[in-house]
Formats: sequence, structure tokens, C-alpha cells
Amino acid sequence: MGFKSMFDSLLGRSKLPESNTDRLFSISTAVVTMEVNLNLQPSGQAGICFKSMSISQYENTRKEIEDLLSYSTKETGTKYHIEKDKYNFLWVMLDDKDFEDLVTNIHMISQTLIEQGFSEQILCAVYRFESKGPVYWIYSFKQGNYYPFVPLKKQERDNSMELRLKSLIEGELPIEKNVEKWYPLWGMPF
Amino acid sequence: MLLTLFLLAAVYLLFLAFLVYSGAPQMFMVLFIGAFMGLQYYYSDRLVLWTMHAKIVTEQEAPDLHQTITRLCAIADLPMPRVAVVNTSIPNAFATGRGPKNAVVAVTTGLMDRLNQGELEAVLAHELSHVKNRDMAILTIASFISTLAFYIVRYSFYFGGMGGMGGRRKESGGIIAIWIVSLLVWIISFLLIRALSRYREFAADKGSAVITGQPSNLASALTKISGIMPRIPKDDLREVEGMNAFFIIPAVSGSFMNLLSTHPSTEKRIAALEKIQRELEL
Repeated sequence: MGFKSMFDSLLGRSKLPESNTDRLFSISTAVVTMEVNLNLQPSGQAGICFKSMSISQYENTRKEIEDLLSYSTKETGTKYHIEKDKYNFLWVMLDDKDFEDLVTNIHMISQTLIEQGFSEQILCAVYRFESKGPVYWIYSFKQGNYYPFVPLKKQERDNSMELRLKSLIEGELPIEKNVEKWYPLWGMPF
Repeated sequence: MLLTLFLLAAVYLLFLAFLVYSGAPQMFMVLFIGAFMGLQYYYSDRLVLWTMHAKIVTEQEAPDLHQTITRLCAIADLPMPRVAVVNTSIPNAFATGRGPKNAVVAVTTGLMDRLNQGELEAVLAHELSHVKNRDMAILTIASFISTLAFYIVRYSFYFGGMGGMGGRRKESGGIIAIWIVSLLVWIISFLLIRALSRYREFAADKGSAVITGQPSNLASALTKISGIMPRIPKDDLREVEGMNAFFIIPAVSGSFMNLLSTHPSTEKRIAALEKIQRELEL
């Protein structure tokens, strides 16, 4: 713990980390290795999840995102919709067979959210893959790293598979080192 | 807040200097209370869970509660705390533990029954802000001097007499001086700690507003909880009274002076939250 964060917590004004999109794109190169070596097939679905906001802010932001998406998806042919999950978080869901287009659109949405002042409220971006069951790669905007999430049933996750995936892809994808930060994400809309 | 911390530190140092200057007859009391409070702090999570009858729940037992806290932790960049539930109809929540890595966040079943998802999230974000701001550690350290002064006020004649048995006769004037200074220190530090506690509450409210992005959710949760408090039977309240500093709403409310209160009044907290809401939206 640094001196500055110690001082901030002493004064009770600890700040939230801002979003970091630097390494978001690294998954578009790692996807080849995932398909060939890890036997993970991209399902063509991805989503970005953020904290819901007050109605007036929500309306502005949604309009901004939809305007941009309707423009950008004309070229890429990406299907999209916005929905709220049972924990009151908003998801922009994307559907596209071309993985590169998914990453580009996720990046664009995250940039929009940051510009609108919601940098602290972006939870994560998620890419779905198929193996025996669903495998999710989650990009944490707080850490600026990826981590795997392999749900089984009823709030149980396949930790051994997650650790195996980590060790196999570590060279190509920036993986969050601290497994404490591999937050599970239940109730995803896909 | 800075001024309060500064004054508290000043009282701290002056009092310790005074004790040393007066020949330190209370030195073993300093060490004893220090060790006692150190232990209390170190085992705070277990102690509080035990006295509150809180039960740690697993992710399978309370999936929604866990997931709500997980997402808030992801946003606040905190390690996932242990989660506990207290089976009582009193709506309340508290956080304990000596640091973010040993934290426990607990809610009562009454709280979960009465609040909607957005309000529950706001209350949990308030508790997580206490964890992030390390309020348990700060208030424990701050309380040390007040506790010490309190015990000296209560027992100094007794211990002074004991010191006299060692052969060297103590002047009773010295003991009276120590007693008076300790009494003053106790009163001043008590007021300062209460002020500090109220500041930390405002800070945690602000933290909740920043994490959730919706201060109005915490405001409506506070209104709901505080409206319900007076109807609770007294017997239950007496049990929980000692825990007040760590609760989201103090269990014993009443017309006693705001100065002595661990929490700012609900009206003041809501006013502060409304101000943040305006700053966010306008």
C-alpha cells in the first residue's frame, strides 16, 4: 500500500480506479491460439457490462451508444441490443461471427462510456467461447487484464480448467496475476 | 476531518507525554490496555460475528447477495470479503475485520427483506467503503487513548495505592492531578472520536455514491431503515448498542445530543447525498 493511498484512506476519500483499455485488443491475436491449441471456439457473442445510472444519464448514454453502433455496425454487420440483468447492471450485447468486429465494437463502446464520465462504473467486457460448456474471457477495466471464467452449475466454477487456460495462454494474453481479482460473474445474459 | 485527526493526535501525544512526565505509574495499564485492544482489533471479525450472532454464508447459500458484493468489489477494486447474515428483523448492515483482506460484510435478514436491489447495493457499497477507508483500524487506534483515560479515571486511586505499596510513598496530590488530566482527556477524546466517527460515515456515504453512481439509492435506503427503527423492542436494542459505531444506522436513536452520536442524523446524510446527486447530474 503506497503512502498516497494510505493518506487517502486516512481521510476517508479513497478513489476508485479508472478504466484502462490499453490491453483490451490483445485478445484479437490470442484468439487464434485459443482455437488451435486450447480448443476454444468463439461463440460470436460478447458483451460489455456497466453499472446502471440514473434515468436521465441513462437516456443520454444509450442514445450516444446506439447512434455510434448503428453507424459502425452498418459496415461490420454486428447485431446488438441493450439489456439489464437481475443485478441492475446494463449490458450492451453484441453478436458477430467475425471476432475482430466484436473487439472493435467493445472498444468503441468502452471509449464512449469513458467519455461520458462513467469510467469508474464499467464492470467488464466478456467474450464467450465454447468448449465442453461455455468458457468466458473477462476483461477487467480496473486491472486492464483478462481472466478466465468457466461456470459449472449453481455458483460453482471449474477452477482447474481456468488455471489450465491461464497457463496455456499467458504468453499471448495479459492475464490478471492476482487470482483474488478473478471475480465470478453470475447471471450473465448469454 | 483533518482537523479532528490532528486534534486527536495532539491529545494522544500530550496525554502520553504527561503520563511519562508524571513518573509513569500507569505504564503497565498502558501496556495492558494496548495489548487488550490489539487483541480485540486482531480478532475483531470473529468477535463481532460472535456477539452479533452473524453466520458466514457461502456463495451457494446466498448467491444473489454474493454476486451483488462481488460486482461492487470489482468496481471498487477490493478483494472479496466474507459475507455474513444476521437473522433478525432489525434492518441493518455492518462491516468488520482488521483490513480489506480480512473483512466481513454482514447484513440482517430484515435489511434484505425491506430494501430493493438498488438500495441493498447502496448499503453494501457504504459498508465496502468503510472497508476501503480502513475505518475499523482508524477508530480502534483513535479509541485507545479514550479507553486508557477512562480506565485511569476509574481505577487510578486503586492502582496508585498499589504503587505505594512498593515502599516509595506516592503523594496523593500526584494521583489527583493524573485523575483530573485523565478525566479531561477522556471527555475531549470521546467528543473527538464521535466527531471522527460521523466524518467517516459521511465519507462512506460518499464512497457508496461514487461506487453505485446513484446517491439517491442510499438516500431512499436510509429513509426506509430509519423510519423503521423506533418500532423495535428495547431488549433487542440493548444487545446491539455496543456495535453502533459500525452500523449503517445506529440502533438506538433518540433525542440525545448530536454531539455524542456516532452517526450524523439521517436528515443530514440525505442532504449530503442529494448534493452529490446534483453534482453528478447537473
